[in-house]
Amino acid sequence: MTAVQKRVLINKIALAFSTLSALIALGFLFWILGVLVMKGISALNWNIFIFEGAPPGNPESGLKHALVGQAILIGMATAIGVPLGILAGTYLSEYGKNSKLAHTIRDISDIMMSAPSIVIGAFVYAIVVMPMGHFSAWAGAIALGIIMIPVILRTTDDMLQLVPGELREAAFALGAPKYKVILSVVYRGAKAGILTGVLLGIARVGGETAPLLFTSFNDNFFTTDLNEAMPSLTVTIFNYATSPYEDWQQLGWAAAFILSMFILGLNILGRLILLAGKKRK
Amino acid sequence: MASIIDIKEECALHVRDFEFTYKGAESPSLKKITMPIAKHSITALIGPSGCGKTTLLRSFNRMHDLYPGNTYAGEIEFEGRNILSDKEDLIHLRTKIGMIFQKPTAFPMSIFDNVAYGMRLQGIKNKTELSDRVEKALKDAAIWKEVSDRLKHDANGLSGGQQQRLCIARAIAVEPEVLLFDEPTSALDPISTQGIERLVIELKERVSIIIVTHNMQQAARVSDYTGFMYLGELIELGETEKLFVTPKEKLTQEYITGKFG
Amino acid sequence: MIDKIFFNFTRFSALLILIIVAWIFTVLFNHSLEAMSTFGLDFITKDEWAPNLDKFGAHAAILGSIISTMLAMMLAVPIAIGVAIFLSEIAHDKIKGFFGVSVELLAAIPSVIYGMWGLFFFVPIIRDIFGGLGIGLLAAGIVLAIMILPFMAAVTRDAMNTTPDILKESAYALGGTQWDVIKDIIIPYAKAGIIGSLILALGRAIGETMAVTFVMGNVHKVPGSILDPTTSIPVTLANEFSEADSSLYFSSLFGLALTLLIMSFVVIAVAKFYFLRKARRA
Repeated sequence: MTAVQKRVLINKIALAFSTLSALIALGFLFWILGVLVMKGISALNWNIFIFEGAPPGNPESGLKHALVGQAILIGMATAIGVPLGILAGTYLSEYGKNSKLAHTIRDISDIMMSAPSIVIGAFVYAIVVMPMGHFSAWAGAIALGIIMIPVILRTTDDMLQLVPGELREAAFALGAPKYKVILSVVYRGAKAGILTGVLLGIARVGGETAPLLFTSFNDNFFTTDLNEAMPSLTVTIFNYATSPYEDWQQLGWAAAFILSMFILGLNILGRLILLAGKKRK
Repeated sequence: MASIIDIKEECALHVRDFEFTYKGAESPSLKKITMPIAKHSITALIGPSGCGKTTLLRSFNRMHDLYPGNTYAGEIEFEGRNILSDKEDLIHLRTKIGMIFQKPTAFPMSIFDNVAYGMRLQGIKNKTELSDRVEKALKDAAIWKEVSDRLKHDANGLSGGQQQRLCIARAIAVEPEVLLFDEPTSALDPISTQGIERLVIELKERVSIIIVTHNMQQAARVSDYTGFMYLGELIELGETEKLFVTPKEKLTQEYITGKFG
Repeated sequence: MIDKIFFNFTRFSALLILIIVAWIFTVLFNHSLEAMSTFGLDFITKDEWAPNLDKFGAHAAILGSIISTMLAMMLAVPIAIGVAIFLSEIAHDKIKGFFGVSVELLAAIPSVIYGMWGLFFFVPIIRDIFGGLGIGLLAAGIVLAIMILPFMAAVTRDAMNTTPDILKESAYALGGTQWDVIKDIIIPYAKAGIIGSLILALGRAIGETMAVTFVMGNVHKVPGSILDPTTSIPVTLANEFSEADSSLYFSSLFGLALTLLIMSFVVIAVAKFYFLRKARRA
């Protein structure tokens, strides 16, 4: 065999291996997705949306409590994380730019984005749950809000920087003060990008379980009291799935399916918005 | 309607009724091109951007095959066979027809390893043979004096002009029959450009050269034959001196006098 | 006037990130002081974790975190690199688009789902093959590997994609095969970015809680084999934080959280500031 023939053979083997690993990875991932869809859909029914949690064995049990709780927690987290994240991103892109401070903030925020979320839970436990003396929706929402800030900050910073400088200059030339230029020109130019960032931020915290375990804790019953422990889909999945009761496990799969569809939907929507924005340009 | 002269020399490559269509495109980007390429001379391809000169150049070493879905039709004859055939061994073809790109493309490895790369691909392992041929290639590319004391250094430390000559050394080290130059000086300063042009002229004793350039003066300075392309067609191929002084086609005349482009 | 107010609002929000991070470290540090002063170095070198005796040694949890992460890396790295090569160099455009987006979407699936799947579908397989409980280090490593795989593959692919086409074409023009181009050009060129991406994934895996909590067992014992149930820092926190009943217990858990935060901070910082920054400069 000549050197070139040998190279061609090695090429084939190596490419086959890498294709094989792609198939293995895809196989596992579709296995998980398949299980999720099959188990989830078979466990779905209207009762899930009508009834709240009940002791095992009770046919009138559902996930209403967890769905509403999840919505409340995410809504509050969004109310905390989005404004702070957007304002911080605005500072980096419009004021801080390449200053040392801006770079430090970007770096720290990037690290925060990958930092263990359970640690944020421990932190919020110390600053909210301990002083209050009990678990609460507030604590859960603050934990999620903190996790959300870096995600929003990063996309806002990136998206605002994409707005062309001439647009700002044109607005300044008309005599507009800086805050007006930012609010009416820069934000408008980066609208789609910021929206995508917000959706991805929501998707990111929507799937978080660990920081809720000892902040909002969980509850098997419907509540809207923000000063009490608040049920969430994710912690409910954890509790139901690790319980020995089959009907609870079923509900766990249904919750897992709903949660995954919600998060995938947000991700897809975010991408579509960004894509549509790009096409228009 | 195109005026293609017959060349005196033997042909290195012969293009006949060649058409090339990019993936998904409705009409071919190159239309019915017929063109002889003279051995041991320099053929320049000129024309406004988008005329297809680079597309044609990249057909000679079947570079388009890296991106699936592109289609060829017609014939390009090289060493007595049609290299557009499905059976063509592209690895072998590309060692026979080398290429220099618009920007210097030093690989992320040492100067020595860059030049030795093509030879190693062919299975040459003998150290003395490798270092002899690396030295010869670097000398032929007129860069030996500048790098002989730092062959083990990273090639990315060289200047742009030096990197481009390194790439030429790398290409000639495997002793190809034909060298394709795709606007080789477009990223270089005037002095480096001069050095590359001188080198290209020296090289034609050993290889046949096709050079795509956006710079008409460059074509006039270095080439023996010039082909003028427009909208995917070869409008005129002639001896360089004649083409620039007395073009046969009106379009060629208009282009070289700067009426468009 | 309004200009000034707006500016100060944005600056405060930006500084808030730094404040929060400093605050997190301070709070975790303060709350873990009691455990640190009680146990000293024993906290990380002893593995006796006995809440009823008020004895807390985090050795098993720290070791469990490291071993399960290493196991996951050993399994995930070769496959992730294979997937990245497939996505950037082998797959045709359509497959590339479809597969690439699926990988990115799968990276968004909550880790609690991976954990649940692991518990119901993977643990029984391990039990059938190797006997024992099924729950343990091996299950945790595998589930963790599957969970970080999409993220790892996506960022590794992005790193590989930074290789300029013209550089790859130059190697093909010398008669290189695809594999020659991958190993001689793409991998050396994108080396810093690839290593950075892998380490970044490692940083995420260390702190991952839910994917492993289901399948690890939470047993505070240094495992004798990879089939034994053990624990890791996040697993301990997840299982015990809401049950802790003494101030020393709490303090020890905060100590664990601080240890975890420092470990992941260091790993992520190395990935970001050493490798990925170097990659961007090149």
